[in-house]
Amino acid sequence: MRMALAGALAAALLAPAAEAQVRVLACEPEWAALAAEIGGDDVIVHSATHGGQDAHHIRARPSLIAKARGADLLFCSGAGLEAGWLPLLLERGARRIVQPGQPGHIMAADHVEVLERPEAVDRSMGDIHPEGNPHVHLDPRNIAVLAEVLASRLAHIDPDRAAAYRQRLASFRARWAAAMEGWRKRAEALRGMKVAVHHKAWVYLVGWTGLERVAALERVSGVPPTASHLADVLEAVRGSGARAILRAPYDPEDASEWLSGRTGIPAVELPFTVGGRPEAGDLFSLFDSTLGLLEETRDRP
Amino acid sequence: MRGFARFVRLAAIGLPVLLAAPAAGAQSGPPTAGTLAAEIDALKQDYEKRIAALEAQVAAMKAQAPAAEGKAAPTIRRAGDNSFNPAIGVVLNGMFSDYSEDSSSLPGFALGHESERPGKGLSLGHSEVAMSGNIDDKFRGGLTLGLGAHDGETEVELEEAYVQTLPGSGLPDGVRLKAGRALWTFGYLNEQHAHGDDFADRPLPYRAFLDGAYNDDGAELSVVLPGALYKEVGAGLFRGGDTPFGGSESGREAWSAYARLGGDLGRDSAWRIGAYLLDGEAHDRKIGGHAHGEEEEHGAGHDEEEEHGAGHDEEEEHGAGHDEEDHAHAEFFSDGAFTGDTRLFGVDFRYAWAPTGNARDSELTLQGEYFRRRESGEYTLEEEHCEDPSADSDEPHGHDTCETKRFDGDASGWYAQAIYKFLPRWRTGVRYARLSPPDDAEVGYDLSTVSAMLDWTNSEFGRVRLQYNRDSFGGARDDQVILQYVMSLGAHGAHGF
Repeated sequence: MRMALAGALAAALLAPAAEAQVRVLACEPEWAALAAEIGGDDVIVHSATHGGQDAHHIRARPSLIAKARGADLLFCSGAGLEAGWLPLLLERGARRIVQPGQPGHIMAADHVEVLERPEAVDRSMGDIHPEGNPHVHLDPRNIAVLAEVLASRLAHIDPDRAAAYRQRLASFRARWAAAMEGWRKRAEALRGMKVAVHHKAWVYLVGWTGLERVAALERVSGVPPTASHLADVLEAVRGSGARAILRAPYDPEDASEWLSGRTGIPAVELPFTVGGRPEAGDLFSLFDSTLGLLEETRDRP
Repeated sequence: MRGFARFVRLAAIGLPVLLAAPAAGAQSGPPTAGTLAAEIDALKQDYEKRIAALEAQVAAMKAQAPAAEGKAAPTIRRAGDNSFNPAIGVVLNGMFSDYSEDSSSLPGFALGHESERPGKGLSLGHSEVAMSGNIDDKFRGGLTLGLGAHDGETEVELEEAYVQTLPGSGLPDGVRLKAGRALWTFGYLNEQHAHGDDFADRPLPYRAFLDGAYNDDGAELSVVLPGALYKEVGAGLFRGGDTPFGGSESGREAWSAYARLGGDLGRDSAWRIGAYLLDGEAHDRKIGGHAHGEEEEHGAGHDEEEEHGAGHDEEEEHGAGHDEEDHAHAEFFSDGAFTGDTRLFGVDFRYAWAPTGNARDSELTLQGEYFRRRESGEYTLEEEHCEDPSADSDEPHGHDTCETKRFDGDASGWYAQAIYKFLPRWRTGVRYARLSPPDDAEVGYDLSTVSAMLDWTNSEFGRVRLQYNRDSFGGARDDQVILQYVMSLGAHGAHGF
């Protein structure tokens, strides 16, 4: 009985391995987009979240467990961003190749410099990540690093098509370097522009562009801003010379719109990730449109 | 000053040499300039050799670990003993309750103390201490203690003590084996700790059929099957020591099987359905009728009168009717001990829709479960419940029983609930629950409870809830108000779908 069960299971397990394409489960759309760039037609990419979702708070839905069960490669931000749901997907999906330490497990934050590592953490500080700020994708240099990591992992998992991955990586690298050159120039012109942010998710963008963050609407990360804190923020923003109040598509609008109404500083919804706004359809247009929106705001009278 | 600095520099260079010299030149005589130079040379060579060896080692390690290539060097952390401590979480739970009726029995069902309602006024609910962690690369373990105040004493219940396989254990993908004591897979709520519930109390079917939750000793194998649709099947073997079983003799008297399906509907909603079977034997299962038996007897006494009026003709159909005449039939089921086969069948569904994709902002969840219990065996009443103990109970056969009742029949129950998060911190919900007692109990009506709740969630870790229940048990009505807080600190496991 037990042997028969094991046999049936083994048969069920061997079947999908013969499938042609590498199945990639990305936790966020930016990593799905990168996987599509490097993997091309050799991979099937699924993103666990979409551009309008806050990846902190996702339910470990049955469909995601099924996706984790079948994935050959897991590609996430890491640094605790998915701590509320990814461990459950990994445990219930119980797919060995995507477990931590396996070649099919990529956490972006493990490969780049993570900012805002707190010295001490306590729950009273809100939804804070002891591992540092996980939103590393908003610095295009990090995307370039992850492209390399991804290509080598894909080549490891699917050695037959290693050449194709290397080729696509070379092509992506060239196009990305050229694009970054353009963005660097545009970012230079934005250097020193003062902004208020809703959540502290923008630290990599702020660091890379040289923007200056003068206030954060959420005093305690992950807890909606309180009225008294907003009054403080209003005070801080008023005399600061801030040119924009930045928020992500998933941040509630009310706080930033309220502040904008009081101060006359425009509230700007940046795409934050691929698909966060209609014009940010891939990684290139994500940065193009983000810079475009910042420039537009700066140039307002 | 300059002279002193030079001395320090010289000392810094010379000191290690001098310290190393006795070791390097232990057999040589007093050091001369020549021997010193030779020793320094020897030292240098020695270090170079060591460095070369280390470099070779590093190269070998790099070659061995292709999976880790590209990984940035992890930041140096102090790995003291504490870093291997299990994750510890504490759940604190307290409430204020008020009821219009003093008695809380469910006519036709036994009520274990896990599913009794809390006392009137201020009280602590279940506090929990949970520890979990990876044991090694193949196993994970956990321990949960439930602390509850009962009759003025603090009771510690071992809610969970389990080990389970990790995905790297060598079992095929998707397979998990869990053993020990755990909240086993049955329906929706059973697997989750009560502090994760949407209402302050478990719905009627959970209270009546599972005494809150089924956390027997045993083992369960679950398999998530490959494919786009979520498909999970599983089976378990259990001791049979927990409700709906009890008094296990062989230590392997119950088994379970289940299947679940799930998926998405569009981008922002998801569903899951399941079917479950829990089957086994009970030996003298006795879950009701202890310290508060006095109160219940009074409650049941009323039913007795009603029953005799309503169900007299039915009684005549029973052959054994004569000995039973003095007792309410419901009393067998509420206070009797059951021995026989018991089989619980359940189905559940859950649907969750987050209009913006972010369940944190707003979400609607619909959930329901239906349980059906079939029992085939005997209910036995203890002597204290016999108003007129028959003569044969004096015989010293070791049983304090005076009456038994053969039972072969069904009881069922279900609930359905809707919870709506209308603001990021506020949720409201309604629940309807219904129980159909066994026909033989001759209760004559179904029991139902309507509940409504409003809760405020400051963060993921703190929640305050106001709940209103109305029990309608035949003609009796009980209005209940519960104000509850549930807060957790420390490590907190991810909540599933």
